[in-house]
Amino acid sequence: MSGEPTFEEAQRELDAIVERLERGDAGIDELTKLWERGEELYRLCVAKLDGVRGRIEELARTTES
Amino acid sequence: MKVEATVIDGRKVYSVHAFNGGVASWLARLPTVWVEGEVTDLRRQQRWASVFFTLKDPEDGACLSVQMQRGKFDALDLGLADGERVHVFGRPELYEQRGELRLRALTIERYGLGAHLAGLERLKRKLAAEGMFDAGRKRALPRFPRLIGLVTGNDAAAKRDVLTQLQQRFPPANVLVAETYVQGPKAPAAIVTAIGDLCRRSVDVIVLTRGGGSFEDLLPFSDERVVRAVAACDVPVVSAVGHEQDTPLCDLAADVRASTPTAAVRLVVPDAADLRASLARSRASLQRGASRSAERHAQRLAALRERLHRAPLLDIERRTGRLETAHARLVALSPRATLERGYAIVRRGEDVVRSREQVAAGESLDVLVADGTFAARVE
Repeated sequence: MSGEPTFEEAQRELDAIVERLERGDAGIDELTKLWERGEELYRLCVAKLDGVRGRIEELARTTES
Repeated sequence: MKVEATVIDGRKVYSVHAFNGGVASWLARLPTVWVEGEVTDLRRQQRWASVFFTLKDPEDGACLSVQMQRGKFDALDLGLADGERVHVFGRPELYEQRGELRLRALTIERYGLGAHLAGLERLKRKLAAEGMFDAGRKRALPRFPRLIGLVTGNDAAAKRDVLTQLQQRFPPANVLVAETYVQGPKAPAAIVTAIGDLCRRSVDVIVLTRGGGSFEDLLPFSDERVVRAVAACDVPVVSAVGHEQDTPLCDLAADVRASTPTAAVRLVVPDAADLRASLARSRASLQRGASRSAERHAQRLAALRERLHRAPLLDIERRTGRLETAHARLVALSPRATLERGYAIVRRGEDVVRSREQVAAGESLDVLVADGTFAARVE
């Protein structure tokens, strides 16, 4: 298992799970697992989107050369 | 001018004075020429007889000292400032006291707009021929940049504008700002340095931005050094320089051109609100999909149960059907229909009588007709 997925990875996995479920060919045992994983990914994405505030950093200025 | 050398131990030796004088007189034979460059380090004082400045090659920074009589310089009334592009007409000469080469200017012309445009057009053709603006070179921007490099002027309003919009549109955006000169003679080199610095800090996209300005103001963004740096940049570059109608050459070399800094923001980061909506849709689909899958499983199960229940009944029906068919065939084969037309079957004991040889007079026989049997005697 690699660490926590990036937003992009999480969203892609969520999309794949949704597609899988919509095809309706997931086994009954798999179903719960897929659904739980999907919910988890959804919460992860939302948390990343709303909870994380980006950094703004300044490089040393090149204007004082 | 005759240059005198002294012979010491069989070796011809010149004094510095003589050497400089000799070079100076040789230089003085060179023709007058036009030299193009940027004015830097302009020094003019009332008590000096001459005006001095350095003419700098905008391409590689090569320098040439220029001297002009102050009276002539003032008469031109050019109001020159550092960084301006000029054509200087003059002749090379040696400042003998210091052994320094300089250009003695006879006249100076400001490098005009027309000349600028022609120069730009030449540069554009040259770079286009190198394939620098080819569509095939353009790279796609990352969908979710981890770190955005922003090259911007120290014009606080424009910079704040871009940063505010970036954070509004996509709050998790990380930005590394390289503030630099965006106009004037120092700008090209400073912009190139800023791009390089950002790349070294592992940004995954660079936004090159500057607000609107005059043609001259935007010239650094058409400078060959800047255009080459943009094209050679390790990560995709979005160029958002000036207004819609401006097309500095760096726009052509960039991977994407944005008409305004605001448009650049839209290109570089996704809209968080859109993403949230799309996530909500995914979640709804997730639940729908899960329940639909479960439903399908249940339906399949119910259908199976139904078939299980129906199976015995079906079996009986099938058997009954077979029986009826057999019966019908039996009926079809029975002689009853024939008897009803008036025929009779004559039996002697168990045997059907087919020949007169089978019977003798006085024998009793059974006769079968359509509605039953009666006895008869042979005569």
